[in-house]
Amino acid sequence: MAAAEPYTPSAAGAAPGSRARAGGRGRGRGLSIASASLLVIITLIAVFAPVLAPYSTIQPVGLPQLPPGSGGFLFGTDAIGRDVLSRVLIGWQSSWFAALAVIASGLVIGGIIGLVAGTLGGVADTILMRITDGFLALPAPVLAIAVVAALGPGFTHTLIAVGIVWWPFYARIVRGEIRTLRARPHVEAARLAGAGTLRIAMKHLLPGAIPAAVVTASLDVGNLVLTLAALSFLGLGQPQPAAELGADTARNLPYLLQEWWIPVIPGIAVMIMALASNVAGDGVRNLLGDR
Amino acid sequence: MTALIAKRLGAALIIVVALTAVMFLLQKLSPTDPVHAMLGPSASPAAILHEEHALGLDRPLPAQFLSYLNGLLHGQLGMSYRTRRPVSTDLGSFVPATAELSLYGLAFALILAVILAIGSTLRWPGATLFRVLLMAGAATPAFLLAIAGILLFYSKLGWLPATGRSDYANPPTGPTGLLTLDGLLHGEPAITFDAFKHLVLPALAVAVVPAVSIGRVLRSSLVAGMGSDYVRTARAKGLSEPAVVFRHVLRNCLTAALSMTGLQVGLMFSGVLVIEEVFAWPGVGEYMAQSIPAADFPAISGVTLLLGVGYVAVNTVVDILQAIADPRIQQS
Repeated sequence: MAAAEPYTPSAAGAAPGSRARAGGRGRGRGLSIASASLLVIITLIAVFAPVLAPYSTIQPVGLPQLPPGSGGFLFGTDAIGRDVLSRVLIGWQSSWFAALAVIASGLVIGGIIGLVAGTLGGVADTILMRITDGFLALPAPVLAIAVVAALGPGFTHTLIAVGIVWWPFYARIVRGEIRTLRARPHVEAARLAGAGTLRIAMKHLLPGAIPAAVVTASLDVGNLVLTLAALSFLGLGQPQPAAELGADTARNLPYLLQEWWIPVIPGIAVMIMALASNVAGDGVRNLLGDR
Repeated sequence: MTALIAKRLGAALIIVVALTAVMFLLQKLSPTDPVHAMLGPSASPAAILHEEHALGLDRPLPAQFLSYLNGLLHGQLGMSYRTRRPVSTDLGSFVPATAELSLYGLAFALILAVILAIGSTLRWPGATLFRVLLMAGAATPAFLLAIAGILLFYSKLGWLPATGRSDYANPPTGPTGLLTLDGLLHGEPAITFDAFKHLVLPALAVAVVPAVSIGRVLRSSLVAGMGSDYVRTARAKGLSEPAVVFRHVLRNCLTAALSMTGLQVGLMFSGVLVIEEVFAWPGVGEYMAQSIPAADFPAISGVTLLLGVGYVAVNTVVDILQAIADPRIQQS
């Protein structure tokens, strides 16, 4: 679940890419910016995937089962002669946008619940956090599968299902930040100046909680890419013949031993996307996190 | 200690009941009508009414939930729309394979985690390699690892089998259901060895994701622990280095690694579902994969409840173990 890599500043040294964090400036800072900009590169590839893709993803465009590099197909063709490169690019787009959509919904839902619980405190805090803990105590991917199964398989349903199970971690992070901020002098000053609860929450508490939430999200997006790929692999994504990285691996498993590239290349694309987002997440943490 | 255990068990019970409530509501939300699913599209209105009454669907929701809970307590998970058998009967034949895979996966994960943590913490030339492994492992989808394993160890080297649990046509079916154990109990070590060979690739594929997360936590607490004051004190009073590491540092590091292990079991379960698909492993993942396209909600909710309860149970045990490893937890 989202908790695979909890955001704890003291444990920051755990991540291999974090040696750059020693100084927030100079070479370390440049390296962090370079890592963080991987997010932009992943997104650019996703946005321009339809332009970059040389062929149709649905129609056969060559002989079936051509190995990579032959016949002008960089990644070869699949069992019915579709261009693997084109399918991987379009699959990249849907995987990445799906991950961003779920992260965004996690940030918004979790952020609102964390903000309300942290600001109000008392009974509201207890109830909201008990519900959050309840969700955290269940295996999120398995629960997501059950939600999809109930709603009926489909891409939108999968996104909704993962969104439903992906917010609790953010609620905890935001609520924790808010509780710390509430004790700060500037919040006390605002309260003495007569600011209402809503104004304090929006103007004085929320801005302070955003960096931690963003850092958590950027460290989390790689996990989400992997989880969504696993669900797609299990057949919970878009139906045939849409190009999807996890599903393209699963459906082409029968070709593994002879035409390995058909199932393997989409899987490698998932790995590259997850690796790049993890490196970028470390970069974002180094830039925003350790304060 | 007793109070703590009671508290943890109470919390676990509440979460399990909440999970059953969620499953019940999802069943109600599901567009598949159980009566139609059972009787087929051409059933007469009278038969539908009769079946609705027999299933208790004409009663108010709270009453339905109570009878659902009561059924669960008696091990009834409903009837599968697809196989037309009780889900509990179906699960009974799939659970042992999944249990064996999960147990080996967890064991491999813990071993790998310790190797990764120590390998990347020690000052030696291989540390960089281990750090790269930690990073790559965190980004590798389990299914990619699984098919890479098949290509290398089955297709290329021919060392390990790629599908199923056993090469034996009639492996022993009892008493534990775990083939590696049953082979020994029946006095046939060849069956155990064969089952183990079948387990290696899937269990490793299942293990890598949790191993990397546990390894990272263990590594960071090892690094932090070795530099702390109590280590200096322990060394100053003349304790040997192994005594310092095992009795002081490792014990302190265990709590963090343990709680990460508990959390990772949830991820591991979803890994198990995927890996069973790749290796044609006859476990609940196979059952789930066949149930999803058939919109067989009772079967899916049965698997979810099973894995959910397993996850809650593991984490409850982890909580209690943590309190034993670190007495400070009991006081808070």
